[in-house]
Amino acid sequence: MTVGTGSEAIQKIEKVARQIHALLGLAESAITAVTEGFGELARENGQILNLVASIVGRVEEDSVRSILSKVAGLAEAAKGFARERVQATSGILQIVTAESKLLDRLSELTRAQRSIARETQTLSVLTNIEVARLGQLGAGFQYLAHELDDFSQTVTRSIKELSAHTDERKSAIDETRRMLTAGLPRIREEFARIETELSSELVAVESSHALLERAPANFRSAVEEIAGQIDGVVSAIQVYDITRQQLEHVQHGLELVAGRMNVAEDAEELALQGGPIFSSGLVIQSYQLRSIEETIGHWMTRIGTCLEGILRISSSDLVAICPLVLEQEKNLSVELAHIESLERECQKDNLEVQGAISGLSNLMQLVGEHVEKSRYVRDRLQLLTFNSIIEANHLGSQADAILEISQSIKRVSLSWSELTDRSAQAMVEILELVEKAKSEMNAFSSEENGALEVAAAETARGLGNLREAAVFVSEKASQAAAGTLRLQSSIAKAGAARDRLAESFEVIRSALMEIEEAKRQIENEYPLAKQPGDRHQIEMLFSDYYTTEMEREVLRAALSGGPLPTAQHSLEGNSVELF
Amino acid sequence: MKQVLTVDDSASIRQMVSFTLTKAGYEVTEAVDGKDGLEKAGKRRVDLIITDLNMPNMDGIQMIAAIRKLPGYAFTPILMLTTESQAEKKDAGRKAGATGWIVKPFNADQLTAVVQKLVK
Repeated sequence: MTVGTGSEAIQKIEKVARQIHALLGLAESAITAVTEGFGELARENGQILNLVASIVGRVEEDSVRSILSKVAGLAEAAKGFARERVQATSGILQIVTAESKLLDRLSELTRAQRSIARETQTLSVLTNIEVARLGQLGAGFQYLAHELDDFSQTVTRSIKELSAHTDERKSAIDETRRMLTAGLPRIREEFARIETELSSELVAVESSHALLERAPANFRSAVEEIAGQIDGVVSAIQVYDITRQQLEHVQHGLELVAGRMNVAEDAEELALQGGPIFSSGLVIQSYQLRSIEETIGHWMTRIGTCLEGILRISSSDLVAICPLVLEQEKNLSVELAHIESLERECQKDNLEVQGAISGLSNLMQLVGEHVEKSRYVRDRLQLLTFNSIIEANHLGSQADAILEISQSIKRVSLSWSELTDRSAQAMVEILELVEKAKSEMNAFSSEENGALEVAAAETARGLGNLREAAVFVSEKASQAAAGTLRLQSSIAKAGAARDRLAESFEVIRSALMEIEEAKRQIENEYPLAKQPGDRHQIEMLFSDYYTTEMEREVLRAALSGGPLPTAQHSLEGNSVELF
Repeated sequence: MKQVLTVDDSASIRQMVSFTLTKAGYEVTEAVDGKDGLEKAGKRRVDLIITDLNMPNMDGIQMIAAIRKLPGYAFTPILMLTTESQAEKKDAGRKAGATGWIVKPFNADQLTAVVQKLVK
């Protein structure tokens, strides 16, 4: 047919068919470029994901996670150590103070004993004089004089020895007391400071550790989201195969309409036989093109979202966290070194205190020996008193002086006995002090000290792990940051492919207008074309070559004048049916 | 490494299948139509074939029928990956010797899972 507006409509339809044919070629290469671009993005993103996975894995290792409990354990051990140390030091101070008082009492006792020794010596001399005066009668008292002299010398030696030791001991004890008295507030102050610092370090470590766990996890989540979006784009592009077939079939449909119009003998034949078919055929192709346009719009939205998401990825938190963790590790190491230094200082003090306290045992031994000697002297004095009184009574008035001496010995013996009891009491007290000292020294030097050592060693190991992890994370974070920059610079290629794809499909808009214009021309020229044709005939004619369910749905919507069916945009895809 | 042959006249679909299965550890060879697929299957033994139905030169059903006659391909899994969902087409595919049918677009995870199941 070559006359009237019908020929203009045919030309328009044929033009659109040619445009769609050209679009098929352009779109195929544009789709390939988009797929390649996003494949590249997927590879880059995959590498970043691997890096982040290694970071997350390292951060989640127990050796790193346990640093918090180790620092908390160290703080607790330091607190316990300080508390025990202060308590034990107070206990040792009490012992030292008690010993100092005891030494004062011992000095007092030895002074009294020295006085008695001098009195015994005097009695010995007096006895000797009396023995000389009595002559043969007094020969029996020679032994008494000798014994008194011997006792006096023995006691004097013992007292001298004990006094020398107590003086020496007093001096050592005073020194220990001074050291402990001066050291106690310092220990209290140092450990209070450590406790405060460790508490604040712990808060900082908790915060940075949370960041250390959160930053890679957040980054991973962002990168995973991008991976999902890239997969989404790649999956969406699959639909192009359906779209391509839709385009091929639109081209075919338009050629069919144009061909049928061309073979019509004249306008009358065209109007009578083909009008409704041509009009409906053009409506079907318009619907198919609009369906394609919607699909392309969906791709563009998906690609745009993905590219914008890639640009938003930031590795700055991930990169920033490592120096922060390293700084805290350094602070904690300094704190740990300080604790260890204090611990060493305390150990040194322990040795000195142990040395001083061990002197208590020597004192106990000396006092014990002295008490033994005193008891022996007491017993001998009692016996001498008894014998001399009997002997003096036997001699009668001639031995009045001796009797007087015997009475003096008896009095001395009683005083000595009392002093001996007091010495024995002092001895009991020293023994109690020795026992108490042993227990305090144990608390002072062993258990808590051991707990602190263990906690310090554990923390040192934990800090080592944290340092290694931070260095590892730092290295991987730098690689991830570089990968992110590469990923972001790679979007240019994908973006260009997207633009090329969008430009290719711009022709659909003008194609739709041309088809609408052609349809209007046909309907104006041949009003019968507006009449609904044989639906079954039209459906058979245009769906015979369809290969997708989508096209069939669009065709049905076109023929019923219904809304455009939603294209399959779901990323779920179809499952596999095995025969 | 197990060999997979993907046959499709759509370059993007070939790329999608390659992208999905390469990630899963398969070596994927591409063919542009049934004729090309038949030639490539004949030259190099593959463990699984994924083919489109409507292709120029030789369609998927013709290709399957021809491949089944090649030595060593009697039991090789062949999946149809097509936009077609009509029962008569599926029936034709089954009769030609297809192992399974997937209507485009495919679910990447399910495709990987079924390939892993069929290629042991």
